[in-house]
Amino acid sequence: MSNWLNHHLQAIKLVLFRMRSNALSTFMICLVIAVAMCLPSLFYLAVDNLSKLTDKMQTETEISLFLKLDANADTIAEIDATLAKNPDIREYHLITKDQAWQQLQEKSKDNQDISDAINQLGKNPLPDAFFIQAKSADPKSLDALKNTLQDISGVEQAILNADWAKRLASLLSIGKKLIFFIATLFAVVLLVIIGNTVRMQILTQKDEIEVSYLIGATNSFIRIPFLYAGVLYGLFGGLISILMIAGIILTFNNSIMEISQLYSSDFRLNILNTNLYLTLTATAIVIGWIGSYLAVSRAISSIKLN
Amino acid sequence: MQNMIRFDNVSKRYPGSDEILKNASFSIDAGEFVFVTGHSGAGKSTLLKLIAATERPSRGTVLIANQNVSQLKASVIPFLRRRFGLIFQDHKLLYDRNCFENVILPLRINGIAEQEAAKRVRAALDKVGLLNKEKAMPITLSGGEQQRLAIARAVVSRPAILLADEPTGNLDADYAADIMAIFNAFNQVGVTVIMSTHDALGMSANQNRVLHLHQGKLTDGPNKPNPNTTPTETFGL
Repeated sequence: MSNWLNHHLQAIKLVLFRMRSNALSTFMICLVIAVAMCLPSLFYLAVDNLSKLTDKMQTETEISLFLKLDANADTIAEIDATLAKNPDIREYHLITKDQAWQQLQEKSKDNQDISDAINQLGKNPLPDAFFIQAKSADPKSLDALKNTLQDISGVEQAILNADWAKRLASLLSIGKKLIFFIATLFAVVLLVIIGNTVRMQILTQKDEIEVSYLIGATNSFIRIPFLYAGVLYGLFGGLISILMIAGIILTFNNSIMEISQLYSSDFRLNILNTNLYLTLTATAIVIGWIGSYLAVSRAISSIKLN
Repeated sequence: MQNMIRFDNVSKRYPGSDEILKNASFSIDAGEFVFVTGHSGAGKSTLLKLIAATERPSRGTVLIANQNVSQLKASVIPFLRRRFGLIFQDHKLLYDRNCFENVILPLRINGIAEQEAAKRVRAALDKVGLLNKEKAMPITLSGGEQQRLAIARAVVSRPAILLADEPTGNLDADYAADIMAIFNAFNQVGVTVIMSTHDALGMSANQNRVLHLHQGKLTDGPNKPNPNTTPTETFGL
């Protein structure tokens, strides 16, 4: 037991010593790993946050029902009754053309150009409108509801506000599949990078390995320091990539918050994405281990053949 | 006394070559000091490699401490090798680290704790007279000192058997005598020493057993130093 512990402690000490004495090249390798981890993560973050945003928008889905401009109070009452009977509708409210006109004037009060334009119109161009919240958030039933409402007489147009969100959501589902492939490709790249790095180190320590075998080293004695090297490369690479991602999120958040405020939303990117960071580091470590294991196993059998 | 090493009709052939060793049978007891002699190419190195289990016999059986080397699993071989202290003609020192770090290597392989290991390294360096060179890099040492350093590395894990392949081959007479004295000292405390040499140097004073190889065959050979070989022969470094 203590022998085993000694082996591992000595191996870690040895690897850290070697890394420190080649600090610059170690840093460069970790940087390469970090960048390779960073790219798919950023893509993931973009897709993930966009899909959160569209989810939120889809649940806030509203159907706007614009009535014909010549709709009178009777028509409005008739439509009101129809809507009240429809079981798919959660709630709805009416905004009359006068209310809408008032709202528009109030909202554009601060903007001289728009209020001038509105004043030039002279008369109210806006229709009466019902704003309807459906019970279901499912795109298909929303679509069906929209078509039903469209067919009510006196209705000029029914607009499903989530149309674009729906399209975005289906695009994002393609994006999610893409992430999987991109991440896999980068994992292969990492495997090759780490494997090659460890192979180079083995070559520089070929003498030591040969002598060690002659005086009774086991395969695992030879292997362990290189495995730790792979794991540490993964760990340091993972940590650097977390710093990179956090930095990128921080710079993006500034501009995202500006946009969010325009839409009176408090949406922003989460900088403490613990799950992502843990997955990232764990993946890098596992890839480091596998890469160096493959490299060292190949090298061991070739050295033994000599 | 128990046979430490036993060869029964051992032959060794490398792919694409003639038999290097032919039907060798002998045994070595614990505590013996045995010379393996013969011209270069006679099969001395091969014999030592077979003992150290770095090579396996093509035919016959090699028994080390009653274990049949040919039947050992590859994973057990390293533990067998730890019973030996190996000394090579070309030292096989690691030139990227100092003397201390060279000698501690076998102890690291054995997983010995650092403090205990450091004590043993200093004891081994002391035995070969290099205690003051602990921090020196091997490249700064003379040929004889390098060979003594290699001996320190071979004995630091207290092996029962020392295997030395022409340890004095590249050394001049004075250095060679030093090395022989060190081997004799280990032999006197019970270590089995097997040493190959192409000349008869150092055998004169002892009544040591000699395994003489001629073209791969063990022969009776000269049990006395060969008068045709000059013991002061040097090969300069």
